[in-house]
Amino acid sequence: MTERVVVDFDHHSKEYREHGMEIAAEARKRCPVAWSERYGGYWFVTGLDEASAFQKRPDLFSARREVGSPESVYKGIAIPFVESDYPGGFLEMDPPEQLEYRRILNPFLSPASVAKWEPLIREFTNACIDDFIEEGRGDFVQQVVNVVPAVLTMAMIGLPLGDWVVYNEPAHASIYTPPDSPDLPRVQQLTMEMVTHLYQYIAEFRQNPRPGMLKALVDAEIDGEPLPDLNIMGTLMLVIGGGFDTTTALTSNAWRWLAEHPEGKARLMAEPELWTTATEEFVRYFTPAQGTARNVTQDCEVAGYSFSKGDRLLCSFAMPNRDPRHFEDPDTIKLDRFPNRHAAFGLGTHRCIGSNVARLQFKGIMQESLKRIPEYTIDYDGLERYETIGTINGNKNMPMTFPPGKRQGPGLQAALRDWQTKLDAEDLESAGA
Amino acid sequence: MRVYVQEDVCQGHTLCCMTAPEVFGLRDEDGHGFVKVTEFTPEVMEAAKRAAANCPEQAIVIEE
Repeated sequence: MTERVVVDFDHHSKEYREHGMEIAAEARKRCPVAWSERYGGYWFVTGLDEASAFQKRPDLFSARREVGSPESVYKGIAIPFVESDYPGGFLEMDPPEQLEYRRILNPFLSPASVAKWEPLIREFTNACIDDFIEEGRGDFVQQVVNVVPAVLTMAMIGLPLGDWVVYNEPAHASIYTPPDSPDLPRVQQLTMEMVTHLYQYIAEFRQNPRPGMLKALVDAEIDGEPLPDLNIMGTLMLVIGGGFDTTTALTSNAWRWLAEHPEGKARLMAEPELWTTATEEFVRYFTPAQGTARNVTQDCEVAGYSFSKGDRLLCSFAMPNRDPRHFEDPDTIKLDRFPNRHAAFGLGTHRCIGSNVARLQFKGIMQESLKRIPEYTIDYDGLERYETIGTINGNKNMPMTFPPGKRQGPGLQAALRDWQTKLDAEDLESAGA
Repeated sequence: MRVYVQEDVCQGHTLCCMTAPEVFGLRDEDGHGFVKVTEFTPEVMEAAKRAAANCPEQAIVIEE
């Protein structure tokens, strides 16, 4: 057993945002599993082997949050602990319950199932770009990558596409607003409004169902019982959060990297087969979901470290993804890196259920965007990263300028109308009408 | 010689099938990987080893 190594560390701090990976490298040298005194004290993991060992023992390192029992050791996946009356979906459950929920959504998220959405991804990317390409300036986050993942998520769930705007701000703001921000009450209020909107929609939906994840959730039974509306909503909030925010983070960081590395951009444009390894490498390097917390359920010793019941642990993915024991030259993006067994989609039972959508979408958005806007400059005065990247390594704004191009279509609003009509027609067809 | 995927370790990252589609398939119900070949030729073993090295869960077992 190793002595507990205390490191001054806070994954929500500005220092982490600006120098997190250097801090992680120092901490890893001293100990791949260290202790921070912040937020009541928590372990944090910088080594890949250690992260893997913890994630594979959900019985000892629980993700569960016990709603209504703030004193319980089951505190969910956020550090600091956030008390809420609402369940957090299956991300805050343990097996076997967690697997029951995943089983309902899995059929929508396999590589074969998600492939049918590729035309939507590519068409919406182009429609978004059409709205500003003649101006020679635009905001890659606000006008492209906040939009496309949101619309796709709405379509996959079976929600009206145009409602993406209702969920957009709360989906991002609830992630980037730090726990001590004066803006937090406003963001919580927005989130509550989104919850209410969704709750009302579920009731409406039962009368008038359409294909998609929501129908599968409404129709599903666990142990012979239909799912409680509260858990359907928790699941939808999870799919919305995961669907909206993480891909935005990945695509915007990669877009910035390509602007700063013209040789990498030229290579990707010349060698399209490189996108397969490049996608994994961007995911590893930027690690959109930086990590999740776990709760120690009993005194135990794992990977050579002793834990006490009630300890909290930040199971980082970002820091293990720079572990030099597994990644040569870990702080450099190598577009052809292989093997690349990164932890960015998580490890163990909570592996990102949307990873196949993420890969498809990343490639689609990046390729179409580069086709339309091959040369661009990031406007650094307007560039705004998330205030905290402790949860998601994202960007709020990414203004850019470029030589103006030509519109190819009528833009976003028309695409929303066209696709809604198309999806509605498919619904009727699949209903046997 | 044979190759197999430990079902209780695989979590459906799908990288085996991306790396060596000639050796690995994905189950319809959950996207978890399985070995779809029955003959373990040197080419199959070589491709399977590449996939094993790239598996985030280390779920692929190579028996030489």
